[in-house]
Amino acid sequence: MIAALGQPAPARTPFAEARFLKVLDKPLVVSGELAWLGGDQLQRRVDHPDQETASIANGEVTLQRAGKSPRKFSLSHAPQLQVLLDSFVALLSGDGSRLQQAFDIRQTGEASGAWRLTLTPRDAKVAKTVASIVVDGDGKQSRCMQMQEADGDVAIDLLGPLAEKMPAQPTRESLQTLCQGSH
Amino acid sequence: MQTRGRVILLVLWLLALAGLGWTVSQRLKVSTDLRSFMPAPTTPDQRLLMEQVGDGPGSRILLLAISGRSCASCARGTGTSMAGGHSESQLAALSQGLVTALHADPRYSQVLNGGFDMGALDPKLLPYRYLLSPTLDTQPLDEAYLADQLQQRLDDLSSPGAGLLKNLLPRDPTLEVLKLAERWTPPKSPELRDGVWFSPQHEALLVVQTAAAGFDPDAQAKAIDGIQQAFHALPGSSGASLDLSGPGYFSMVIAAQTRHQADWIGRISTVGFIALLLLAYRSFSSLLLGALPIASAALAGITALTLAFPEVHGITLAFGFTLLGVAQEYPIRVLSHRRAGEDAVQSVRALWPLLLTAIASACIAYLAFYASGVNGLKQLAVFTIVGLLVAGFSTRYLLPHLLPRKVRDVADLRWLVKARNFVDHLPRPRWIPVLVAVAIVLMLAFAPGSFWQNNLAALTPLPQDMLMHDARLREALGAPDVRYLLVLQAPSEQGVLALSETLQPKVDALVAAHAVDALELPSRYLPSIAAQRARQKKLPDGDALKKELADALAGLPFQPNLFQPFLDDVATARRLPLLTPELYAQSPLGQRLASMLAQRDGHWLGLGTISGLHDVAALQALGNGSNGNVRLLDLKAASESLVVDYRTRILQALLTATVLLIFTISFALRSARRAWHVLAPMTLATFLVLAVERMAGIEISLFHLVALILAGGLGLHYALFFERDTGDPAEQRRTLHATIVCVLSALLVFGMLAWATIPVLRAIGLTVSLGVAFHFCLSILMAPHAHAAED
Repeated sequence: MIAALGQPAPARTPFAEARFLKVLDKPLVVSGELAWLGGDQLQRRVDHPDQETASIANGEVTLQRAGKSPRKFSLSHAPQLQVLLDSFVALLSGDGSRLQQAFDIRQTGEASGAWRLTLTPRDAKVAKTVASIVVDGDGKQSRCMQMQEADGDVAIDLLGPLAEKMPAQPTRESLQTLCQGSH
Repeated sequence: MQTRGRVILLVLWLLALAGLGWTVSQRLKVSTDLRSFMPAPTTPDQRLLMEQVGDGPGSRILLLAISGRSCASCARGTGTSMAGGHSESQLAALSQGLVTALHADPRYSQVLNGGFDMGALDPKLLPYRYLLSPTLDTQPLDEAYLADQLQQRLDDLSSPGAGLLKNLLPRDPTLEVLKLAERWTPPKSPELRDGVWFSPQHEALLVVQTAAAGFDPDAQAKAIDGIQQAFHALPGSSGASLDLSGPGYFSMVIAAQTRHQADWIGRISTVGFIALLLLAYRSFSSLLLGALPIASAALAGITALTLAFPEVHGITLAFGFTLLGVAQEYPIRVLSHRRAGEDAVQSVRALWPLLLTAIASACIAYLAFYASGVNGLKQLAVFTIVGLLVAGFSTRYLLPHLLPRKVRDVADLRWLVKARNFVDHLPRPRWIPVLVAVAIVLMLAFAPGSFWQNNLAALTPLPQDMLMHDARLREALGAPDVRYLLVLQAPSEQGVLALSETLQPKVDALVAAHAVDALELPSRYLPSIAAQRARQKKLPDGDALKKELADALAGLPFQPNLFQPFLDDVATARRLPLLTPELYAQSPLGQRLASMLAQRDGHWLGLGTISGLHDVAALQALGNGSNGNVRLLDLKAASESLVVDYRTRILQALLTATVLLIFTISFALRSARRAWHVLAPMTLATFLVLAVERMAGIEISLFHLVALILAGGLGLHYALFFERDTGDPAEQRRTLHATIVCVLSALLVFGMLAWATIPVLRAIGLTVSLGVAFHFCLSILMAPHAHAAED
């Protein structure tokens, strides 16, 4: 099934993300474009509310914000990005074995209709930060990616055409419905 | 003497030696600190150098590189590039593991690997961040600043890699901890990969500052050992290798290499020496007994040193044992001058006046070294004078009673008769001294290169690949230069910190102008009390801050009461006693600071470390108008000037020694003409060695001078004995035999050293070998003709 999701690089998809953080009383919402540039290179470009580009290459993250000098840090300091890289690139390149190498995989639903993959990081260090990833899809399309952090914080990304449907005041429940709901 | 008497004497002598040996083992404290050997510094720079040599921050830095070795089984990376079998992430994990292991170890004051060091500030000192960070100098903690900071944190939270921030946010919304961590990482640092420093050659890099001084080889060896043990205890370290570099590591390597080479050369030449003496005297007991005077000399010399000085320097001992080589001649002379059937005591009596002349003149000459006022030379004089006297008197009054009665008279040896004939019939033209003197002058005039070697380090050089490795790591890590230091001087510790603060903007300008890559001042680690107090006063009180924060939070989605830990820390910071270097010294960073501050003669010094100096003049200009309170110290220039001072002292001592020697010899021989026959060949041979070495492009160092003095002492013996005319051809043959044995044994021992690859050993070996050869030839060629005396 994963092989069927594969696309040639570079593959780009719009995304909208809502982050539910304990330190905040309402979610943070950003939107932009995720791009797989081939190999281990991933770019996460945010257009709203502020311009910001995070590029991952060679185990290093470069963070660029409008009007600021770029900041670099190691991928090992950002397990969230490591997980994003491992799952997103594996899905876009249709590389099931890579996905298997990084995660424990649980699949529900069926390949032709609505499906859900629950990924649990194998790396103990990563698992300390990221508890699990849930990817919802429909046929050959990934619709949604939810990152459950170990401290209870959640980030929900709507992918592809669904990105436009991010509500102005998202709640976990409304996004869950969007992710699972068939069209 | 009866057999019983001989046995008792031997036992008593051995007991005395054992007693001396025991005293030495109880009392001897060998110092390796170069400072106790060097002359007292005279200029401020020299004085600083003496302190720097042991304690400076630069000398305590060790550079570490972890690299992968190719191995087939460890090729399981997590997708990052591979480096010789270990992936970079594996090397990074090793680097991280090493930092964790060394962090709490009191042997190391700072361990850096580029990893984000949240623990840079001791957790107990966390509230001090508001006094240590310069933020408050320009920015009050008011609503506008807080609102801007909080908005930035909100942006940070939405961006990837917010995990680190989430924990920090409630306590430190303005991220002072990160600002301090950035401030304390080296200004020019290598590329970060997997969160730690990497060289372009795929090595994980670390910087360790040891608590021990750089030139304390024992403590450095312990610190290095600790690092290696910690490294090898890390899981996954088996396939990786750890390379070290830095002054402390070098001093350890040099000491080990020199010892190793001296040891194996020593073993070979000892075997050769024993074989030579056996061949010459055909008697085991003579050989063993002949070793007693020199053993007594060495033990008595050291005992005298331990009684007269609290600590003995290692170099003094090395020099002293070299100079004591002269004493080896005394028993040899006695053994060669034995006559068949004659009691050894009688042989010695005939020989004693001349031997006593040699011993007395050498001792009187060494007195000049005692008067030099330099501690190292004083020790050398005490050791040598006591040693020579003990060797001489035990050869005269003890040894002959023990020697076997039956001996072979060497005077009847056929080859010796021929050799003596040959020597006696050598032409001895009067123009030889003139010719040699002219040759010496010409060679000295046209010799290439500079006359003196002022760089002591050139004598114990490091392998080229080690130097290149060090240069590469130093460049990659931006580690401080070991040559230059910026020295700040003030009446008090706080004065130094304040001076350091006022210099900071000028230094920043120099760095911006690329005059220097980085210059680390003490105030980088701890602001002055005045600066801290000013910042403390700017901290708002609890209610005010609460209100400013509440206003700043308006419209932002942060949870209410999230920032209570921040309010608590600021309230604590307002009441904190200001951080002094003493208080700070309990944390690792305080140790780092302590290595940059030094108290001396009622005032304080701050040492700024320098990396990548491009414009020396620009940095010297920093001190303009400071009345010498700020100056650039060139450690290399200072050490060379110290060596020059040292040499001047030795040369002065030598000059006095020469005058003393002339008087002693003239007095002993009671004839200026005879004194000339002894002193002229000795002087010419000494200068001939200098001239030949200079012609070969060798620059003359302290070690060459000491070796020349030893060769001069041996040459004095040759000339004295050749000059002596007993009118007895058999006795003349014995003299030649003794001299040949002495020359051959000296050539054997020092000729071997001349083959050493370590220049300091080679310098001593070559100089003594050449000296012995020249002294021998010239004292024969310039001795008065035996027949002429009879005519």
